[in-house]
Amino acid sequence: MEGWQEEYIAHTEKIAALSAPVIGEADDFDLWYAQQIRAEQEISSLREQNIRLLETKLFPMLDELYGKDEEAIRSLDAFSDRLMDWRTNLDCGVYVAIHDALLSVYRTRRDRDRIIRELYKLGMGFYYLKRFLLGIEGPAKDAFNFRNELLFTEAGSYFTWFNQIEDEETRGYIIRSLANIALCTNNCSRRVRTSRRVLDIARDEEYRRSSPGLPWDAFVRKTHQQMSANRSELSGSELTSEELALILDSCYEVFKPEEQNENPSIRWLWPYYEMEYNCGYVTLDLTLQRMKELILSAPEESYDMSGLYGCVQLPIYLGRLLKKHERLRTNAENIRFLNEAYGKMRRALLSCPPAYQDDYYHYCVAAVITDYYEVPGVPPYAGITRLLLKKCSPDTYVRARRTGDVMRLICGFIYAQEPSYFDDIPFIREITDTAEKKETLLDYAADCGLYGDLGLLKMNITRTLHTRNLFENEFGIYRLHTVSGSRDLALRPSTQRFADIALGHHSWYDGSDGYPEDYERTASCFRQMTDIAACAFFLTDHPEQTADDLLLQIRQGAGTRFSPMAASYLADEELAGKLKSCLAADPGLYYREIWAGLTDTYTSADTP
Amino acid sequence: MSGSENRTLEELQRTVESLQRQLEEAQASNKAKEAFLSNMSHDIRTPMNAIVGMTQLAKKHIDEKARVADALNKIETASSHLLSLINEVLDMSRIDSGRMNIAAESFSLSDLLHDVVTIIQPQMVQKNHRWTLSSSGIVCEQLIGDALRLRQVYVNIINNAVKYTPDGGQIDLSVSESVLDGLCHLSLVCRDNGIGMSEEFLSRIYDPFERAGSTTVTRIEGTGLGMSIVRKIVEAMNGSISITSRLGEGTEVTITVPLPYEEIRVDHAAVQDKNLLILEANPVLISLYDQYLDEFGIAHTIVPSASAALSVLTDADFGKISFDGLIIGREQKESGSIYDIASYFSKAHPDLPVILISEDSWDEIRYHANRSGIHHFIPLPIFRKSLINGLDKVFSGENAAQGASLTPDLTGRRILLAEDNFINLEIAKEILRSTKAEIDTAENGQEAVACFSASSEGFYSLILMDIQMPVMDGYEACRAIRRMDRKDAGTVPILAMTANTFAEDIARAKEAGMNGHIAKPVDINALMQALRQALR
Repeated sequence: MEGWQEEYIAHTEKIAALSAPVIGEADDFDLWYAQQIRAEQEISSLREQNIRLLETKLFPMLDELYGKDEEAIRSLDAFSDRLMDWRTNLDCGVYVAIHDALLSVYRTRRDRDRIIRELYKLGMGFYYLKRFLLGIEGPAKDAFNFRNELLFTEAGSYFTWFNQIEDEETRGYIIRSLANIALCTNNCSRRVRTSRRVLDIARDEEYRRSSPGLPWDAFVRKTHQQMSANRSELSGSELTSEELALILDSCYEVFKPEEQNENPSIRWLWPYYEMEYNCGYVTLDLTLQRMKELILSAPEESYDMSGLYGCVQLPIYLGRLLKKHERLRTNAENIRFLNEAYGKMRRALLSCPPAYQDDYYHYCVAAVITDYYEVPGVPPYAGITRLLLKKCSPDTYVRARRTGDVMRLICGFIYAQEPSYFDDIPFIREITDTAEKKETLLDYAADCGLYGDLGLLKMNITRTLHTRNLFENEFGIYRLHTVSGSRDLALRPSTQRFADIALGHHSWYDGSDGYPEDYERTASCFRQMTDIAACAFFLTDHPEQTADDLLLQIRQGAGTRFSPMAASYLADEELAGKLKSCLAADPGLYYREIWAGLTDTYTSADTP
Repeated sequence: MSGSENRTLEELQRTVESLQRQLEEAQASNKAKEAFLSNMSHDIRTPMNAIVGMTQLAKKHIDEKARVADALNKIETASSHLLSLINEVLDMSRIDSGRMNIAAESFSLSDLLHDVVTIIQPQMVQKNHRWTLSSSGIVCEQLIGDALRLRQVYVNIINNAVKYTPDGGQIDLSVSESVLDGLCHLSLVCRDNGIGMSEEFLSRIYDPFERAGSTTVTRIEGTGLGMSIVRKIVEAMNGSISITSRLGEGTEVTITVPLPYEEIRVDHAAVQDKNLLILEANPVLISLYDQYLDEFGIAHTIVPSASAALSVLTDADFGKISFDGLIIGREQKESGSIYDIASYFSKAHPDLPVILISEDSWDEIRYHANRSGIHHFIPLPIFRKSLINGLDKVFSGENAAQGASLTPDLTGRRILLAEDNFINLEIAKEILRSTKAEIDTAENGQEAVACFSASSEGFYSLILMDIQMPVMDGYEACRAIRRMDRKDAGTVPILAMTANTFAEDIARAKEAGMNGHIAKPVDINALMQALRQALR
């Protein structure tokens, strides 16, 4: 690797470590706060250096890729591999940019072996980029999935000519690509058939003899693991009994060695138990019992994949199971256990040290945000997400709190002028007592600011934003945080009222621009609050500009980007003065909340 | 009574009966007029009330752009309904007074049906209707008649099927022909599984202002004049219309019109030696492709999915077989949209022209289609001659009406290419050579500015500008060109070519006055797409 590549990796690793707040043994808030501020300044400086490295080193290199020699390409390749180690996933955006460029070059040169390799690598890059979209359905994700599938399919289609391809490494990429088609297709049956084909190939003595250097046993093992992952998609899919048996067989293959292990990995025990239930071999009650035992046996102090699987993923699966079966969720004992399991989940996520806050950890956080089952008897979703914001993305929390305070100021001012302004919102309209109405409104406004960007936390794209500017394709993903956050907020009673704000706060008042396209302002009873949120997020999203400039832009955008009524209120000098103070205020108060939240792990203050 | 007295009495009786009949007819006519006026008054007043009410609301909230927009949308809907009502009343009046002329002009049956589907399809999609269009025995593809009136009839009939079929219902259309006494008897059968009609209502279906059920109950809007007009047009064409229906089960309408026809030539010289890869999973269309292409000896392979197409192309690569075109048909077995498919293939196989065969309106989808690499279009439904002639046009380069060929012909145009890297310059020149454009090169931004400045107005059709160049970068060069005091300074398309692909970079290129952005390393397809967009 070249010097600048080592430097970029070092910066990116440092940024990842600095982004997670460490409470540890620090019992002095002021000391901790000073550390946080220093960390933020350091992140900002490293980010600038990273952008400069890409602009002065990577982009010129891609610019001149046609003329680069083998050594330069090898170093670029090595660099990209370091960026997308499957566990840490330092920067899959740059990885994708590199391999997209390499694929273009090799296609032009008609270099078949390299094309196959780049198709595989670009496919892997897309697969990791796609993880930003957990829980999002719709055309954007479909297009992503489809392109991902075609990349692996094209590389895998060379299998027909396996023996004519001389390079053994290229042959390996063909097998891997064939197997990875199963990662992308939505069709469960196709996944099973694909995995089965790869298993047949990987176990075939003729292929093994023809390419002795390939890790055939690893292909078999990993394909069994991949096949066992299909079980989670079983609900709603129509698999034949033969396909079900194949999945069960694979689950057993990964289960068997674990069962004999002294410390078996829960990650490979549960799939077998679940498949035994799916195939009708064991009862629902026994399955629930097994799940409870696994959750209880998961060590809280272990933060590796197995540990997080037992402490986080399994409680999430438990929530899904109870939600699905009325008989189970109406049993008070099961809800009590769910509460206990969620407690374990919360402790594991909040106490996880920075070294373990890798891609899988963030995947677990996203799974909690997507699938948390809010039911009487367990902490509300609003509280859990507030804690996760503090733990996983403190800068998002600080900005969200400031946005909330800006919204509180604006709404307070408007309420004083026009008390019925927000009366389209039913729960506001219903309050008759003036003081209570005002208090409820202002608290609601502050929470709208807090939860409006929940989608950003789940997508974990803020980590990329800490590292560098976004590429165009990443920006497309970033925009989906509105849809993602809105979907998750709308599903839980404690956060439903924030869903429209999350969806609409980046859309334009007249619908002529902004995103997402499917926000219908006039159809939402929360539209006046969303209008205020659009102004508030605009004010807090651009710290590089002065408050005066931002307020001027809001006035200029009245009737197009911003609500003319909201803009006219913001033109008031007294309010503008207060907003400027709020935007410039020391963030210490917000950091104190983070500190308190993470030291106390959970307080009633986190329940709105 | 004498014979003459008897005759007088009979005459008198006949006169009385005749007078009575005339009186009854006059009374009936009066009643019809009253009913007509009453219905018209209701039907016109309803949308007018909406227009007046919404106008008042819009005035009241004039500062709220979104509220005003919402009101305007509603006014637009009501106005459009009112306009169709007035048009139909005028149609009725024109038909009744014998002022309706039936034109006798040559038209393509395929184009007519494509137009009908294009008009109706959005409503079917909105109501989640499943629908099919089948054809059999189509031998006369070029007919002579009044295509506009025929379209009006078809749209009216299918529109009724859509209106009176609940969400998720099924509508089947089938077109057939038979030749008798030198005329082509064209039949359209429209069958739905909607709410159907009672026998009693069927007997009144052609009466003006009759609708199945009250609009307040069914929430189905319409003028109630459609079927009267349909029957009168069909009769004017010497055709016939028959309707069978059962309440709650559905309706089948058959319209047959006799039309003269023209023999059309099938041109297949340009396509006959081509090898086509077709992406189609619909069994009816697969059999049509096989039938028509086999008849003309055109080699083809049909696959049901994009994945299968990729496998075939890989095999072709090894087997040294080449395909000359990829047809994306109506149905595929995978979830990707036609744009996703085209986008992937145009990148992976840039030398393979992508042809779309679809019932969508080309005018509406053209922008997205072009951007994803589709530049040829053949409308559905396909018939023997329309398919072969359409394909022949693609390969003979006559398809300009529907889309440019894969590589734009830029003969007589001049492109200024600013690029400091020698290899990149050579590659770009090599790619551009196929466009037949004249290429001037500049090694940095300053040279590019000087070249442009020294040229006469309109000399350059396009500037391709690298961003990172010594002496003066692409942004600065672009700004300098845009600032020049000459007519073409603001209009000449300038495209950035750069590996800087941060979202901010793309915005920066726009801010500098550039019209577009091509990512580096440049690939053929991306460059051709950009040229086509910029020089359209």
